[in-house]
Amino acid sequence: MTLAGTAPRRKTRWFVVIFAALAASAFVFSSAGTAFAADTPTPTPSASTAAAQSIGVWVRVAADKSNVAGVKVTITGPKGFNSAVVTGADGKATVPLDKPGTYKVALDASSIPAGAGAVLGTNPRDVSVGVGNQGVPAYFLLGSAATTPSPGSTAKPSPGSTSSGTSFGELALQRVATGLIFGLLLALASIGVSLIYGTTGLNNFAHGELVTFGALVGYIVSGTMHLPGWLGILAALVFGGVFGYLQDLGLWKPLRKRGVGLIPLMIVSIGLSLALRYIYQFVFGPGLLVTPSDNSSFLTLGPVHLRFTDVSSPVVCIVVLLLVAFALLRTRIGKATRAVSDNRSLAAATGINVERVIRIVWVAGGALAGLSGALIGYYQPINWETGGSILLLIFAAVTLGGLGTAFGALIGSLVIGLLVDLSTLFIPSNMKFVAALAALIVILIFRPQGILGRRDRIG
Amino acid sequence: MDLNFIPLAFGQILSPLTVGYALAALGLAVHFGFTGLLNFGQAGFMAVGGYFFAITTVKFDWPLWASLIACVVGAILFALLLGIPTLRLRADYLSIVTIAAAEIVRYTVKTPSISNLTGGSDGINGSSRDFYRLNPLPDIRYGYGVLSYNNNEVWSMIVGWTVVIVAAVLVWQLMRSPWGRIVKGIREDEDAVRSLGKNVTWYKMQSLILGGVLAALGTVLVIIPTSLQPDNYGTQTTFFLYTIVLLGGATTVLGPIIGSIIFWVVLSLSDGILTLLVSNHLLPITSVQQGPIRFIIVGIALMLLVIFRPQGIFGKKREAHFSG
Repeated sequence: MTLAGTAPRRKTRWFVVIFAALAASAFVFSSAGTAFAADTPTPTPSASTAAAQSIGVWVRVAADKSNVAGVKVTITGPKGFNSAVVTGADGKATVPLDKPGTYKVALDASSIPAGAGAVLGTNPRDVSVGVGNQGVPAYFLLGSAATTPSPGSTAKPSPGSTSSGTSFGELALQRVATGLIFGLLLALASIGVSLIYGTTGLNNFAHGELVTFGALVGYIVSGTMHLPGWLGILAALVFGGVFGYLQDLGLWKPLRKRGVGLIPLMIVSIGLSLALRYIYQFVFGPGLLVTPSDNSSFLTLGPVHLRFTDVSSPVVCIVVLLLVAFALLRTRIGKATRAVSDNRSLAAATGINVERVIRIVWVAGGALAGLSGALIGYYQPINWETGGSILLLIFAAVTLGGLGTAFGALIGSLVIGLLVDLSTLFIPSNMKFVAALAALIVILIFRPQGILGRRDRIG
Repeated sequence: MDLNFIPLAFGQILSPLTVGYALAALGLAVHFGFTGLLNFGQAGFMAVGGYFFAITTVKFDWPLWASLIACVVGAILFALLLGIPTLRLRADYLSIVTIAAAEIVRYTVKTPSISNLTGGSDGINGSSRDFYRLNPLPDIRYGYGVLSYNNNEVWSMIVGWTVVIVAAVLVWQLMRSPWGRIVKGIREDEDAVRSLGKNVTWYKMQSLILGGVLAALGTVLVIIPTSLQPDNYGTQTTFFLYTIVLLGGATTVLGPIIGSIIFWVVLSLSDGILTLLVSNHLLPITSVQQGPIRFIIVGIALMLLVIFRPQGIFGKKREAHFSG
């Protein structure tokens, strides 16, 4: 099949994709964008706390999950312990504790800003702190008394739990928003997988480690070196590309030269994934790493407060994805990439330097994965297996869209992102990946080539 | 200087872990070495077998034989679930679906809302009840020095190695049979076998089921003397199994078994040496950093093996193309 013959048909498809991406972005901004903040309420144990134990207080408005600053919280405990803190701009406050035990956490009702409502659930509340526990959650939700208090609101609200005072429709809208953002982040990583598969035939099982690499670069730059966030993202993009280049230069290119088959190559990639994953753990430790981000409200749309991250990440994703689309459709190297994906031997015969295309694909794939990792780091704490844990979603997305098609990867990612987040409305959040697998199995039964794939690729 | 780790490492030769991994690796050799199926979710088969066995034993109080049947049925169902959509497609699809499914099994059993059935992140203890009741050995200590075992541990080892030997003979005979020739033909050239009028997809499915059942039974032999922990069945377990299979020789029957022994002895020795170096401050790393090192070693060993000696110790070079 020649490139010229398929170009017009594919172009219309791609416009549909780009339109979908733009529509998605519009949706993200018009709906509850702070939902992501609600998704990741992991207490951030402040590094300055020298005490062995601490309680993490977090006060938010139940309806829109916006953080409430300036609330006075009193903590009393054994042996006459008495401490008072005021929540910061992010609605949080950390209380260092020298001794473990049961502490009473009381919100001062008079310090709650007008309009935020009253405390839902028990107040004061007993919080038991074990030896060495940092950031034991004492989360408070505020709302009007009419809304039912959520049972056991000391528990950290997981993505699957229904927050009090939120209707099913609002919750679904939130999930749509978070799902689309997540889908866009997934798309950045998936396009690399798809392009590498298309040009070399390799299913790169170590791609998740490229994502983790980007997340770690972002963490080093803005977390430990305290440089601005955009620099961290840029560094992740650049170093991700360098890492992809070095991988191809040092490992994959020599193996291609040796004529190693595709199945051994896939096994090499799982070995690489295992080694890299634990090298990250060796260097950064097994714990969670939190990239600091500004949690203050950046944009207010009616009742919805958007953090800067909520606005910037989807914008960055969309801009980058549009650039990739432009490069693939309009530039010489993009056309060459598509030609190599279509038919490697034919492309080589027409004078395209296949090795050069593959090298560029590795650099681009690494850079996009790195960017995706760094952006993920702003939404949730990362660790050594952040990328590994989304690998199966990346593969689900790529297969759903059609292995080897860059735009299929984009559509597949948005679908998988939405599916995974919306499924938490009905099933426990631990099982949300089951929905992705179910989708994968269904698509393989009925349309194994994926949404945009071609029939002759699968046999 | 405490050198007890050396005899303890060689004690791994007989340990339940070696038995379980030998069986699971044998199953993987049936999939990957003999049939050419790229199953990246062998840990999923292990977990499914383990959970079917442990839940029916501990939670439902089924007798041993019934739980064993449940375990086998579980593995067969899992193989059908994964095989039906993927086996008629190219090798990559099976690898993607199996690696995803194995992780999903792990996430699912850890779900808090069903933890009264699956034990959540803590797993399930105590599936040894009926098995130890069958133990005919007198209750004394067996062994010598640091390698000393009670009667139940010895009983587990005897039964475990008996199962491994029976399974090995079974697979060896199967691979010499017409069935084995067809399956190996599928590995070499699927279309050629298809052109002979064989139902390739169905043979692949049989192979997937056989290997999956072996993995499930292997897990039962591991969890009886120890316990069932969901995180023992993550992707790293599958990668360990690939290392074992490629070490011994993927296209042989003896390879996975000897591979499992070598793997666990070497891993245990390297852990012991590392602990020695770290505790004597000969290596500038902390004891927390010591944990990941074994995984890094395995990952690199796996890459080197598949690149430089894909046939392993016992395999024949011409059988180890894996062209897919």
